[in-house]
Parts: sequence; structure tokens; C-alpha cells
Amino acid sequence: MLFRPLAAAAALVLLLLPPAASAAEAVNSGGVAITFFLAFVTATLGVTWWAARRTHSTHDFYVAGGRISGLQNGLAIAGDFMSAASFLGVTGLIFGFGFDGLIYAVGGLAGWPLVLFLLSERLKNLGKYTFADAVTLRLAATPIRCLAASGSLVAVVLYLIGQMVGAGKLIQILFGIDYAVAVGCVGTLMMVYVCFGGMLATTWVQIIKAVLLLSGGSLVTVLVLAQFNFSLDQLFVAATQQHARGVAVLAPGGLVHDPVSVLSLGTALVFGTAGLPHILMRFFTVPNAREARRSVFFATAFIGYFYVLTFIIGFGAMALVMGNPQFADATGRLLGGDNMAAIHLAHVAGGPVLLGFMSAVCFATILAVVSGLTLSGASAISHDLYASVFHPHASEQELVRVSRYATIALGVVAVLLALLFESQNVAYLVLMAFTVGASVNFPLLFLALYWRHLTTSGALTGGVLGLVLAVGCIVLGPTVWVEVLGHAEPIVPYKYPALFAMCASFSGSIVVSLLDRSERAARERAGFNAQYIRAQTGLGAEGTPA
Amino acid sequence: MQQVYRLIFKDPRFHDLQRRRGRLSWTLAGIVIANDTWYVLATAFYPEAAFARFWGLPVSEGAAITWGIAIGLAQTVLFILLVLYYIYRANGEFETLKEVVVADALRAVGTQP
Repeated sequence: MLFRPLAAAAALVLLLLPPAASAAEAVNSGGVAITFFLAFVTATLGVTWWAARRTHSTHDFYVAGGRISGLQNGLAIAGDFMSAASFLGVTGLIFGFGFDGLIYAVGGLAGWPLVLFLLSERLKNLGKYTFADAVTLRLAATPIRCLAASGSLVAVVLYLIGQMVGAGKLIQILFGIDYAVAVGCVGTLMMVYVCFGGMLATTWVQIIKAVLLLSGGSLVTVLVLAQFNFSLDQLFVAATQQHARGVAVLAPGGLVHDPVSVLSLGTALVFGTAGLPHILMRFFTVPNAREARRSVFFATAFIGYFYVLTFIIGFGAMALVMGNPQFADATGRLLGGDNMAAIHLAHVAGGPVLLGFMSAVCFATILAVVSGLTLSGASAISHDLYASVFHPHASEQELVRVSRYATIALGVVAVLLALLFESQNVAYLVLMAFTVGASVNFPLLFLALYWRHLTTSGALTGGVLGLVLAVGCIVLGPTVWVEVLGHAEPIVPYKYPALFAMCASFSGSIVVSLLDRSERAARERAGFNAQYIRAQTGLGAEGTPA
Repeated sequence: MQQVYRLIFKDPRFHDLQRRRGRLSWTLAGIVIANDTWYVLATAFYPEAAFARFWGLPVSEGAAITWGIAIGLAQTVLFILLVLYYIYRANGEFETLKEVVVADALRAVGTQP
């Protein structure tokens, strides 16, 4: 029954794919990338069809029935994190700035151990489908779910626009497809995966893509190292000979120099990870806390390995692509910008076949990441808002239907906004998503899990403060106020406000909670012991016999 | 369920478990945060501050790899090892102890564990 719309969607994609824009724009004119990409789409639509027949209840739709193993979930988490933005962006930063690109790698990885040590176990034992479940066990459901859903939706939509605009641009360069068609393609495929296959399909799409990205990256790395007799030292020597800054590129410098900004950027990277809803949601897809911990181990190992790859690929591109006239435009800049460094390197290292393969993997990466984001946004709408706030007695079928409508609505909104933001530099949107994660969701979740005295009014004050400051500071800061809106001076001098917004959110929550002497506050504090024992033991957790 | 929770809360082994697991998580989290902050600050204060100056020096005479790069790559390995150690303890001894505590409490109220 579900197969027909899937087949129709596949046919639609086939029709849309042949290059529409001038092929001269495309990095590769060959059909290799298209062939690899069609193979990926066929395989993932097959997975979606298989998953659709296993997706009936809300439990299946949101968390794949809680039957994902630790290894599978670890790969999927790693997949969520290894977006095209981080693969192409971090290799591009290392290509352009050398050593300083490493801050993103180390900061990005450091979030994972923290999620494991402080959050994963308690979250798994307390929650059901979204992190708001864990927070509302003892706090008032309606206002807190509205807050959590706002934080989640703001983060998801910002991240989604960032990914979609990046996707459109990338596909335009790689495949020579028109921007609007590329964005429409990503939107359509993503809606098919999520609507029909729910979390099971989304997870498997993410796993397939993670395996492809890690093996493709490894292949490029091995081929590059082979050219330098497998000596990192020889690679660095060759790289420093090409870069304008010479050996200084192997030491810190240039990219970020002001300690406050650097710390604030680190805060956004580390704690934003612990507050992004599509990542928190993954802890509910495993059966118990033991598997939740194992999944973080696999995720950390894969992400660590991934960053080592991006590091070598970045310096490899510096050695082999920089200064190569084949990849420079008339002004001597890299064709397609620094973000294309990894793609050009694949061409140098493995010829047109590897170039086609890596291009297809990047397209697949974007698809998989936007699917996960959309699913978490849809669950915030249907589970946190519709089911818990507006229609507490809705039936299973009704909720699955609402989730599917929410998916389509989010998909359409994302496509429209991506068209609207086409010519904007959207890097700040992703930064804003991390900042909102770090200053709304993370403080709320952390205090609810760890601090007995947190009350509903405190949590609301802190959350709203964090949200307003995070969005406000970015809009009034140098990136948006000056670069996008064209004013002369920024009102807020800092580019990365996560540190202030997060601290304000924590202090707002703490001060108001301590001042709260109401009867409800007393009841909420009294509820902490039961929540604490459940968090520690998993007794009474969803999916375990009570 | 409230009765089981009360029994567990009275069990000294539960408090021992959560104290030891909490100490482990916070120690490891502290190591991660300290390492990350140090790394990021050394990058920001290079080359003025004394604690950051050696970052641009080669790890050995004639090598191209600098201390900063070697430390950055070592951090990745360190984080993975810390995670591995936590999983080893948490999925091993702590999980076993937790199961005993829960089973005893369930038996005391007459439910089969």
C-alpha cells in the first residue's frame, strides 16, 4: 500500500536529476556521481519501504520501537554529527587556516564524553520520545513542554535552513543542478524517508551514509598518505611549502585570537551538542541505559576517527590542491571556495570515480542529516505540543498522522526558507542553532536532572532568558547586524554569544527557583527523590516492566 | 512503585553506587572540560603566554609536526580512552550492583524481579 507513493517519489527524483543548469558550473560533468547517488537513493528507498511495514505505532515512529542496538545507534549518532557542513567545512578551515581548524575538531569531539558522563544514562531512564519527557516528570507539563518545544523547533529550523542552503549550493556545484531543483529534491526525499519510514528508516539512512562517508574518507586519506610514503611529516612539509604562511600554519594563529570569543565558541560547540534535539532523541531508540552508553562509545570513536580523517584530508588538500592551477579560478582562489577542498582532493587522489563517489556521499550526508532533524522537529510538534498540551486524549493513529503532517509542514517550510535565504551566508544559522541548544535546552535538561531545587517558574525564566539572549545577541552581533544587515557597528561586540546566554540561562533558573516559595515548588522539589532513583536505576523507565 | 523507590532510597548500597558512579562521571567530565579549555586558551594566547609558546615548536629536531598538532591528535585518543574506561566501569561493576539493589527491593515488596 505504501509502495506506490514511494515508487512515484523515486520516479520524480529520477526525472529531476539530469543536470538542468549549465554543466560548466559543475565540478564534474561525468555521470559517475549521478550513478552513485541513484544507487544510494534506490537503496535508501528500499530501506524506507522495509521500515514502513514495521512502523505502526507512535513508539515505532518516534524511536523505532526502541530496538536499535548500541553499535547501530552509535553509527547513527556519528552520522548525525558528521554533516556535510562539518566534513566540508572543517576540511575547508584546515585547508585555509591549518592548525586553527583543529579547534573545531577538538571542541566538536569534547561534547561526546560529556554527554556520556553526565546525560545519556539519566536521559534514557527518564524519557520516552523527547527530552521534554525527562524534564516534565516533576515539573509542570504544559509550560515546560511549550518551552522545550520552542527551543527544539528554533534549533531544528535554524539548523535545517543552514543544511538546506548548503545542500542547494553544494549540489549546484557538484552536479550542475539548478538550486531550486536541488533544494526541492532534498526536501522531497527527506519527507518520504521520515513520513513513511519514521525513526527506523531515518536511522538506517544515517547508518548507510555514515559507513559510506567513513569509508570514502578513509580511502582518500590512504591514497593521499601513499603519495607521501605514509609519513605525516612529509605531508606537513609539502603542505607548508604550498601555504602562504609557511611553517606558521602548523602553529596557532589568525582564525580566532580573542580569548572570550574562543571560550564562547568552545561553549557553543561542546554544550550545543548536548542540547540539539535530534541528537538527544537518539538515546530513546535503544532498549536500555547499557546500550545507551555503548552507543556513545561507538559514536565518540567514529567521530574521533572522522576528525583525524578531516585533519589529514585538510592538510592533504593544502599539499596537493593548493597552488594547483587546475583547481584555481581566474583570481587564483579555489574553485567553488575553500569548502570544496576535500572534493578537489578526492579528484586528485582517486580520479573521476572517487570524485563522483565523494560528491554522491556529500549529497547523501545532507539528506540523512535533514531527515533526522525533521523527525525531531515533528516529534516536538506532535508529541510535546499536540499530544501533551492540546489534545491529551489523542489516539495512536491520530498521533502518527499528526507526526506525518508535521513532517510535511516542516519539509515545506524548510524548502521555502532555503529558497528565501539562497543568496545569504548562512553559516551563522548553524551557529545560532548550537547557541540555542547550549542556552535553552542544555540548562533546562541539566538542572532538571541534577538539581533538586529547580522549579517550573525557575526553568521558564532561565529558558526564556537563554532563548532571547541567544537569538538577540546573534542578530545584534557582528555576523548579522554588520555583515548581513549592513550596519556600520555591531550593538553586541561578540560573534559567539553562547557563553553569556548559557550563563544567563543557568543563573536565571537558579535565582528564580531559590526565590520560589509556592506550594507547587515544594511539591516539585519533593518529587526529586523518585525521579533520582528512576534516573539512577532505570526502574519504571519506558519499555521496562514496572 | 513509590514503595520500591522508598526501599531503594533506604538501601546503603544504592547510595554507595550513586556516590561512586557520580565521582567517576564528574572526575572524567572535569578532565575533558579542563583539557578542552586548556587547548582552546593556549590557541588564543599563542604566542604571547609562556604556557602556549612551545605549541609552535617541532616535536623533535628536524620534524615538521608541532607540539600543538601532536597534542590535538592526542586529545582525540584521550577522549576515546576516557569513554572506554567509563563504559567498562558503568556497564560492568555499577550495572551489576544496580541490578542486585533493584532485585532486592522488588523482592521485598513481593514482586518478581
